[in-house]
Amino acid sequence: MMISQLNNGFTLFLSLLVEAMPFLLLGVLFSSLLLFFVEERKLVDIMPKNPFLGALFGSMIGFLFPVCECGNVPVARRLLMQGVPTSVAIGFLLAAPTINPIVIWATWTAFRDQPEIVVLRVVLSLSIATIIGFVFSFQKDITPYLQPQIARYLKFNPPAQTEPKTPQLQEQVTTPSPLLQSGTYILGGKAGISTRLSGNFSQTVVKTPNRTLIGKLGLVLDNAIQELRELGAIMVLGSAIAAAIQVLAPRDVILSLGAGPISSILTMLLLATVVSICSTVDSFFALSFASTFTSGSLLAFLVFGPMIDIKGVGLMLSVFKPKALFYLFALAGQLTLLFTLFLNLHIM
Amino acid sequence: MTSLRNAKSQTPNHLLPWLEVVAIAAWGVLILKYWLTNKLNLLIHPDFFWLVIVAAIGLLTMSFCKSLQLWHKIPPDQITSGEQHINVFPPGWSSSLLLVAAVLGFIISPQVFASQTALNREVTEILGATRTQPQSFRANTRPEERTLIDWVRILNVYPEPDAYTGQKVKVQGFVIHSQELNLDHLILARFVITCCAADVYPAGLPVQLPTNRDQYPPDTWLEVEGQMTTANIAGKRRLTIKANSIRKIPQPKNPYSY
Repeated sequence: MMISQLNNGFTLFLSLLVEAMPFLLLGVLFSSLLLFFVEERKLVDIMPKNPFLGALFGSMIGFLFPVCECGNVPVARRLLMQGVPTSVAIGFLLAAPTINPIVIWATWTAFRDQPEIVVLRVVLSLSIATIIGFVFSFQKDITPYLQPQIARYLKFNPPAQTEPKTPQLQEQVTTPSPLLQSGTYILGGKAGISTRLSGNFSQTVVKTPNRTLIGKLGLVLDNAIQELRELGAIMVLGSAIAAAIQVLAPRDVILSLGAGPISSILTMLLLATVVSICSTVDSFFALSFASTFTSGSLLAFLVFGPMIDIKGVGLMLSVFKPKALFYLFALAGQLTLLFTLFLNLHIM
Repeated sequence: MTSLRNAKSQTPNHLLPWLEVVAIAAWGVLILKYWLTNKLNLLIHPDFFWLVIVAAIGLLTMSFCKSLQLWHKIPPDQITSGEQHINVFPPGWSSSLLLVAAVLGFIISPQVFASQTALNREVTEILGATRTQPQSFRANTRPEERTLIDWVRILNVYPEPDAYTGQKVKVQGFVIHSQELNLDHLILARFVITCCAADVYPAGLPVQLPTNRDQYPPDTWLEVEGQMTTANIAGKRRLTIKANSIRKIPQPKNPYSY
């Protein structure tokens, strides 16, 4: 019996991976393509000035940048540094991993029997991201919430004066010893290639300023493979956890946790925090709990999961101070809990 | 915690990029292997076969392009969007993890879920409502042409068991023994799959046997012919198949229903 259970668990694990693989692949290809072919600057120019509309707009940029939660922090950081209002950047940060075509399609694939989950996931994510973006817009001076480097950069480089010619505002220093140069650096994605924030940008060494199409495609491939590898590995771990819970956790515990309108949501919020599976494939993870957990709690996982992300915290800390991150996550968590609890008790 | 590192700049190991190539290719090959050996239907709903197969070809193409790049020693571009990446794992770990999962996939064959999985659920759950709305619902088919799942779905729409009394039945499914049933009863069930194996759930009907159920051990596949009747099972009136003839059949090529 033990063996057959293990084998069932393995089958579950494999099926999650096989079903999720196409969406992951599509996600990394799109985000890599857009990274090199879309000019953020043009977007920045058409952004609405009204904070509420700005937050809403920011929440929907995901349709143009189908990035999952691993790609959105750098983009949000770039947006902030290009002088985009905070409401837009935060709306984008929270909603982009969910409000994009690939994630919506994947969610539909997993939950085509319950279309309400797909619709509500979009509506709730959009609402929560817009609300939080709007709330942050009341903070007139956002600098106390940003990391000093970014705050200083914004102070000394007001957006109007730093319009870059290329879409990439921060070029990366590739000289052998970038730290020997003056200026402030933040840790970007790659160690050893820190991103230079202040100082004179004209000194920045750009290795290949003009890329050919072939060169760009090469970069797209590199980027896509790197993301596929990292996110694929996280997906493997996530699927293993999902399968292990299904097979090993005592069924009565799961049933009693999953049936309670509040306990199910809290469990799923916790799982969403711990399991940092990519938003393009998290609906399949949630699906494995569909028979035992309340619909509201599945939604809580699908809405909150992409917003909070243990693996992304490090990167988010490169933009926000811990205090701001805490507010962000606490607000998002509470709103998710409120909305899904309401759904659990009154609708679903 | 999160280490923001670049594999290439950290380790001058030239094998790492190749590990990447192999891991991605392995997944492409694994998925194609499942497709060609008819195992894919144990994992996912047939509606998504094309998607998964295209993805497998995509993975192989990516891995091929990358290996060309490596083979011709095109130097990796140092400013490849470095800031885009969150590298959670130390160099080589992520590729290894992907590769190990794929290799396990090659070694261990996916299994058809069996009655044990079904028994983890309550009998009322198995005999209760299906989660699926009847999408291809054909109520006007002749009773003896309905599949087991057709019956369960019809019952969902109009749950009064007496309405079906006397109708002819001929259905196939696997055997579940349940403690809550009398010894001359078993449950004939099939797993329903909507997306992938993660959401398979059993649906079935109780069968009243002319004899003891011991000669039909769990997981045996049966074709049962008989008539519908109503019986009191686990404290509730339920639509039950009164079996006239029972025939053991081999497990169907595609054991799941949709």
